[in-house]
Amino acid sequence: MRTRAILGSALAAFGLLAIGWEIGAAAGAGPATTATTSSGGTTDSGSSSPPTTSGSGSGSGTASGGSSTTATTPTTTDGTYTGGVARTRFGDVQVQVTISGGQISDVTALHLTDAESRSVQISNRAAPILRQEVLDAQSTNVQMVGGATYTSDGYLSSLQSALDQAGWPS
Amino acid sequence: MNRTWVTMGTVASLTAPGSIPDAVAERVEDVCARIDERFSLYRGDSELARIASGAARLEDSGSELRQAYADALLWRERTDGAFTPHRPDGVIDLSGIVKALAMAQAGDVLDAAGIRGWMLGIGGDLVWASDVAKPILGIVDPFDRGRLLTTLKPVPGRRALATSGSAERGEHIWSRADLPRTPYLQVSVAADDIVTADVLATAIVAGGVPTCDLVCDRWDVDVLTIDRHGELTATRGMRTATGRLAV
Repeated sequence: MRTRAILGSALAAFGLLAIGWEIGAAAGAGPATTATTSSGGTTDSGSSSPPTTSGSGSGSGTASGGSSTTATTPTTTDGTYTGGVARTRFGDVQVQVTISGGQISDVTALHLTDAESRSVQISNRAAPILRQEVLDAQSTNVQMVGGATYTSDGYLSSLQSALDQAGWPS
Repeated sequence: MNRTWVTMGTVASLTAPGSIPDAVAERVEDVCARIDERFSLYRGDSELARIASGAARLEDSGSELRQAYADALLWRERTDGAFTPHRPDGVIDLSGIVKALAMAQAGDVLDAAGIRGWMLGIGGDLVWASDVAKPILGIVDPFDRGRLLTTLKPVPGRRALATSGSAERGEHIWSRADLPRTPYLQVSVAADDIVTADVLATAIVAGGVPTCDLVCDRWDVDVLTIDRHGELTATRGMRTATGRLAV
């Protein structure tokens, strides 16, 4: 559920709700890959913007159908799809999504709202991303390690020290 | 070379591809020690601790302390109060900024000595030389401190990566009483200087989503947040910087 919730947030963040039909139509899978709006499912990141805008993860929108089917339904066709222009009270929003191996591999904003300063702020904000994307980004070539730490009693400082002593590449 | 020592209540690590003369490394340690002695509240004899206890007056304090306090107050204004140098009981607590000030000064020492490719980490905050073209950095996973949450390659021009958290000691970060409890477990900010990165990471943890929006709106920085449910948000620059994020 968490993955779906996160993906829902990601989709909502980019105003993707409107283009589910595009994907579905292109893939010939009909409603099975249609992103639909429904209540709940996303985490509340505190935005007060309406769910149909490009605000991040705040709305009630979640790709309840699309998130699971794009990952598992074999009828989803790889490719790049451009969504229609969604008009919001903050301005027009248009995004492009790339499906690769049955999964969303890229979401690009072709146009985000800029009608007013509040909208620009929404466009610039930190948007939800998939944890799996960064979890896969492990590397043995890390030069230094950062993290929240507080006192020398905390074990993160021990970790930093241990990493240094273990000779992490520098 | 690689040099590790304990300072300011945490661990510091200094690396460089070549050697760093002992005299230079000692000056770096001295910068940290001097700031520790002046600003640490956990040391009852520090200048700031004496002001906190009423044994000394702010008006009589040294210019370095007053400048740091003024800087902190300026950051409070810039962040609409999310960053604050005051504990809830009114005591001046500059721990949110002095480590970064020390790191910036240490960097100046290293640059002035002509050290190339240096990187300095203190208590999870990182700063590096301008000639470190593409540093590869790790960020600890707050849910599993033995793992990395991600690796980062900051965009060119970035000189610092600061990470603040509420995981172990939420009271570490003071915030306005009217702000809601932060949703963030850990916030990392990459910026062109360590003070900006450190202050803004702390401010976002304290101020939550509204402050994150404010920071993204006002500053040219890259932000990566992780909330108590493990869910992540990232600005465009941070998405570019992480291992295999598609942007």
